[in-house]
Parts: sequence; structure tokens; C-alpha cells
Amino acid sequence: MCGIAGRILQAPGKVGRDLVELMDAQEHRGADSTGFAIYGIPIDEGYILRGMGFNKVNLDKDMAEFHAILKEHDSDFLEEPKFIQDDNAHYCTRMVIKDPKDLSRWVMDIDNISDRFEVQSCGRSLEIVKDIGSSEEVAQKHGVRDMIGTHGLGHARLATESSVLPNASHPFWARPFSDVAIVHNGQITDYYTWRDKLMRQGYRFLTYNDSELIAIWISDQMKQGLTMQQALEKSISSIDGVFTYMIAQPNGIGFAKDRFAMKPLVTIQENGELAAATEEQAVRRVISEEADVINYDGPSMMKIWGVGNKKVAA
Amino acid sequence: MSEVIIDVGKRHIKEVNEEIQEACKAGKKIVVANTLSRHNLGVGLPKGADISFQGSVGYYCGGLNNGATINIERNAGWGTGEAMAEGYITVDGYAGMSCGAAMLGGTIHVKGDAGPRCGVAMKGGNIVVEGKIGYQSGFMAHAGKIIALGGAGESCADALWEGEVWVAGEVDSLGVDVKVIEPTAEEVAEVDAILDPLGLVDNSRNWRKMISGQRLWYFESRDANAWLMI
Repeated sequence: MCGIAGRILQAPGKVGRDLVELMDAQEHRGADSTGFAIYGIPIDEGYILRGMGFNKVNLDKDMAEFHAILKEHDSDFLEEPKFIQDDNAHYCTRMVIKDPKDLSRWVMDIDNISDRFEVQSCGRSLEIVKDIGSSEEVAQKHGVRDMIGTHGLGHARLATESSVLPNASHPFWARPFSDVAIVHNGQITDYYTWRDKLMRQGYRFLTYNDSELIAIWISDQMKQGLTMQQALEKSISSIDGVFTYMIAQPNGIGFAKDRFAMKPLVTIQENGELAAATEEQAVRRVISEEADVINYDGPSMMKIWGVGNKKVAA
Repeated sequence: MSEVIIDVGKRHIKEVNEEIQEACKAGKKIVVANTLSRHNLGVGLPKGADISFQGSVGYYCGGLNNGATINIERNAGWGTGEAMAEGYITVDGYAGMSCGAAMLGGTIHVKGDAGPRCGVAMKGGNIVVEGKIGYQSGFMAHAGKIIALGGAGESCADALWEGEVWVAGEVDSLGVDVKVIEPTAEEVAEVDAILDPLGLVDNSRNWRKMISGQRLWYFESRDANAWLMI
């Protein structure tokens, strides 16, 4: 019973603050961990990278190895890493890196140190911030309320299919595609079937979270040339289980829902803005007047909302 | 009957519900304002209570209703009137998934559409929906009537027991083990008696009454051919 949310603003604004509110209102759906995928103002050069090291004792060692791999791929720090730490063993980091020669190969190499360190997002505008704890706790630790952007996703996790670990929190980055993130509410019942197929194709899984599967499944479909809309449509008939997931790209947010209509999604769309959440009472936090809601209650539903009233290519 | 206005806002719902129960005991007509789609409002209300929610409500509003008259002036979330025993619930807008789930008696009147699994496992009472009922409405309804004036979504009346689903509009698809029958004049009169107090009788309707085909009642799991039905 996780809670998910999406927010689109007309123009860059306090999207972080709104997502914190949307997730705070849904904390009862899962207080194990909370995460946010925020699309800020795109940078002209390099990628913004968010990562997590699993033990701060290894911080220097992790960064030395990380930096060496960056150099091997003709990249370097454009902005030195900043670190966020507390009493927990893990640490989080944010940095800006120069474009590696080949992003997917670099990601593959970086994943080789994944028993100690994990890249959680990489993009011109996407930043994924996720951690254990409630919306408010994660927001305060990572300064989410102050993050400016056009759109984003939020997630409150009740761990059902894998452990309560900071890296098993959502959103998941659709590695190795830059600027693609997903959040998911549900259970994927053919998880191991798909995981096995995708691993045989060379994809690497960093957790046992079934939501990570959706992110990688979508990556694979897009690699094969499908658009976001086509991938969303195909997922409804291909993936088995009860789910509602949202996927975000720089130009929009989409969602898809299973054939059994078990997981809700409610939206308010007004003046080119969107507030979407698992529960209506959450969207009322950011659009409090009695605006009409749209319930996406039926089976096999999908939709894409463009940022800034722009249509997303089908 | 004197009236009391109870404000919800960001207050704890337990506190709001306790105030509602106190007002019921005092015999006051209750208006609940600033509802903000909050969950679990007005659960377990007693016979004779008269309460109006001025706005949208969240999950389980009017659940376990024991005879109160409840009006929701906008939309309602999941499980509206779930397991209610008696009384009336009117939703002026849309009702989310599982409206009237497992209800035992009373009437729920939805003026807009109702989401999937409307009346799932209901054991009595009536649900009247002026719009369309969603996917798999009436699923395993043991008794009672679901009356949809606007139509029905996919897999309508799936795996019914002795419940009935009446649809006046289009049905997207039928569920498993459903029999569609032409209702008799007496049966239509029974439905009209439910619709009459709501001012919804219309003699020009072309009713489709759905009841169980009863094949699942005697389902034999080892019979491979029976599985093909599903």
C-alpha cells in the first residue's frame, strides 16, 4: 500500500515543496521510506548525479574509485561532490559530472562498485532524492522543500516485496537513460520471470524491489525504440500484477495501471498544472479549493501529461 | 431540530468523529464543513442521525452506517457506506471504488458515476447510481440490488451469488457466470419502488437484469472444462 504523487507546474517553481506536501498527506500509506524525483532547470553542460554510499566509513575509498572510473570515461567533476550524512551508516551525495564518452558503458562500470555505492539518478535536470523516514524527515535532511523545478514525482513506501533499505526506496532511475524516473504502487507478480529475461540481456539489478523492474523494463522498451506512450501501453498487457506506476521524463509525466483496477490515481488538472496522487485528500493539500478531481479508477488505463501544456509525442 | 457546524480541516479525524457522535446523541442536525477529502468521516453513525458533508470526502465515509441519513455534497472516495446496515447515503458527485462493499441494508444513491467493484460482496440493501458503474461492479454480490441508470463497465456482475445488477444503459462486457434476463413487470415495479422516492422513475427504460448463471455455485475445480468458462 504505497503512495505515489506527481506534480507539474506551469513554470519553474517550488515543486519540491509541493511534492513534500503530497507525500506528507500520504504518509500513512508507507512511512518506511520516502523519495522524490525532481526535474529542475536543465543544465547546459554535464549531468547532475545523485548517489548513495552504503557505509560512510568507505566514503574516501568510494569516491577515489568513482573518480578513477569517471576519468577512464573521459569525464570528471564539474561540481565537486557534496555529502549528506546523519547517524545512519549510509551517506548521500550530489555532484555535476562532465558527459562521459558513453553514458551506458560508464553506468555499467560504475555499477561494478555497487556493493558499496549506487548512482541513483543521472540527468540534465533530474535529481532523485530518497531515504528512509517520513516525507518531513527526508525533506529536512535533503532540503527538498527548496528544490526548484517544473515537475516531479513522489513516493511513500510500505516495504512489502523487499527490505527497508535506503536504496530500495523509490523513485527508481531508469538506468542508463538519463532523466527518466518511475514511482510505483503495487506488486509485480511475474517479477522473477522478467528479472531473469532482462538479466540475460545484460541489465543489472541493484535491489530486489519489484519497482526497479518496471524502471528497467521501460528502459529496455525505449532502447528498442518505443516511445513513452507505447511503452506504457505495452506494459499493461506484458507485466502481470496489480500496479499503478508513474514515469517522468523532461517533457512530461505518464502513468499506467493494471488490468484489475486495484491501485488508484486521482488528479486535479488546472491552468496547465497537474497534481496527481494515490488519494484525493493529498491533491487537496496543494490545490485546496474544491476543484474537480478526475479519478483514474478503471482497468488498463494510461495517460501522459506534458510539461508547460506541451503534448508529448505518441 | 437545531443545527451544528463541525469543521474538519487538518484536525484529527478521531476527534472530529467524536464530535459528530456527540452531536448525534444531542439530536442535532449536523453540517460538516471543510472536509478536504479526509478519510473515515462519519463512520458508525446511529439511527436517526442527519448529517451533511459540505465537500468531497475520502475513504470509508458512512461506513458501518447504522441508520443515519448522510449527504455528501461532492465526491466520495473508496468504500463509501462499506458494510452499512441501514440508512441512506446520497453522493451528489462521483463515488470511488467499492461503493457499498459488503453492505447489509439501506440505500446508497450516487448522482454521478461509481468506480470499479461497486457493491462488491454486498449482502443486502440497494445501490442506485445515476451514472455508470465501473469495472466488475456487483462482484460476488450475495444479495441486494445495484441499479445503474447510465450503464456499466467491463466484467459486469462477475461471479454473482443472489444479488442482482440492473442496468438501463450500455454494458461494456459481462463478467463470468452472468445471465441476462428480461425482467417481469412485477420485478420492474419493485425497482421503480426503490427509484420513486428519489424521483428517478422513467417508464421508457430498457432494463437489463443480471443474475447468476449458477454454474460457479457448483464449481468443480477438477473439471477442466469448467475452468474454460473463466
